[in-house]
Amino acid sequence: MWISVLTAIAEQVVNRLLALEPTLKDDLQNAEHRVLALTLTDLNVSCAFHYNGDHCFVYGNYHDKADCHITTSLATVPELKDPSQLTRLIRANKLDLEGDIHLAQAYSKAFSNLQIDWAEHLSGYLGDAGAQQLVTSLSGSKAQAQKHCDTFQHVFAQLCQDELNVSIHPLELQQYKSQTRALSQQLAALEQRINALID
Amino acid sequence: MKEENHDTTHFGYKTIESNQKESLVADVFHSVAAKYDIMNDFMSFGIHRLWKRQTIACSGVRKGHRVLDLAGGTGDLTAKFSQLVGDTGQVILGDINDSMLKVGREKLRDLGLVSNIEYVQMNAQALPFPDNSIDVITIAFGLRNVTDKDEALRSMYRVLKPGGRLLVLEFSKTDNEALSKLYDFYSFNILPTMGKLVANDSESYRYLAESIRMHPDQETLKSMMEDAGFEQTSYQNFTGGIVALHRGFKY
Repeated sequence: MWISVLTAIAEQVVNRLLALEPTLKDDLQNAEHRVLALTLTDLNVSCAFHYNGDHCFVYGNYHDKADCHITTSLATVPELKDPSQLTRLIRANKLDLEGDIHLAQAYSKAFSNLQIDWAEHLSGYLGDAGAQQLVTSLSGSKAQAQKHCDTFQHVFAQLCQDELNVSIHPLELQQYKSQTRALSQQLAALEQRINALID
Repeated sequence: MKEENHDTTHFGYKTIESNQKESLVADVFHSVAAKYDIMNDFMSFGIHRLWKRQTIACSGVRKGHRVLDLAGGTGDLTAKFSQLVGDTGQVILGDINDSMLKVGREKLRDLGLVSNIEYVQMNAQALPFPDNSIDVITIAFGLRNVTDKDEALRSMYRVLKPGGRLLVLEFSKTDNEALSKLYDFYSFNILPTMGKLVANDSESYRYLAESIRMHPDQETLKSMMEDAGFEQTSYQNFTGGIVALHRGFKY
């Protein structure tokens, strides 16, 4: 039942986007009354998108015939945003596509081209100046957050690399300890033999 | 399904003459029609919307299809099907009860859905359509109110096109003992009280609880569909088996 809840939320989001971005309808014109099914193998989940020219229906547990059926993993889904990558993903065996590739490309292109004019939509609630100010601040914050995120990633990667050169694996440490212990025992035995020879 | 013999049937827990059931069921739905949608949301905590979503996902309805939404009531499924079949398709909202049809028609017109919907008062046991004329039939929470369920299933099979499918969304039986006890308590104690408070009608909601208990379980309904001629019949349980969606094809 959880899949029905998720698809209901997804349907609300997609239809909200359709309402906010009028060009989305033009981009999806070729997808009208055709079904795009998506199966995520790692989650064992199937869903489908059916756009009727006005509204997009999102189905869960879809097992009927679709005009285009994509089978892939959750990790590959973000890469579907770029329509030019579809062929590469198929060749790399990361994606299996059955049916009309143009339908997948239509969805991919439509959602990758999304450029919602948030200031325009918010101006009805906040006024032109307020909406513009909010959108500008949010864009600035997003850029700032992205910059911090990139810096953190860079620092973290650098730290890991530096640490890689000086620290050893716990197994190596254990091996070193056992070899040292063996050497110490050999030395003790040698010492005893030398002492015996002197005596 | 007829119970006991050919002259009697069940109306909730009561045994009545078969020819009385239609009018008694009609009285129930005349009584609840106005508050039907609000009571559905109240009684199921809104979960009926998810059950119906899954029914639509399993329907395979496409542009140009002719869909019959039997016992369609206030038109929840019809509203979605109307958008899916497009201008070249048609949805027939069928119900035996004219009060429910009126509420459904008003609601769908308010939603702006007018061009491809037809409203027909009909008895599921004698569908007024030619053989092989419908692509998909759905009957959601309606089959248990039908006097002769076998005859209704045969009638649906007759009007379906080869390749067409029937979807039966209906209350069913849960295997989980704890859930079953909780559900019984809810059905016989809370539900009639809610009916009394919201719709000022506790008897109709007592009938609802009783009729659910008298309805055949998942496997029985599946075999009834097979007896009527349906192939590749299957069902999926929702909410622990409280509701089940049966699907069968005509080839």
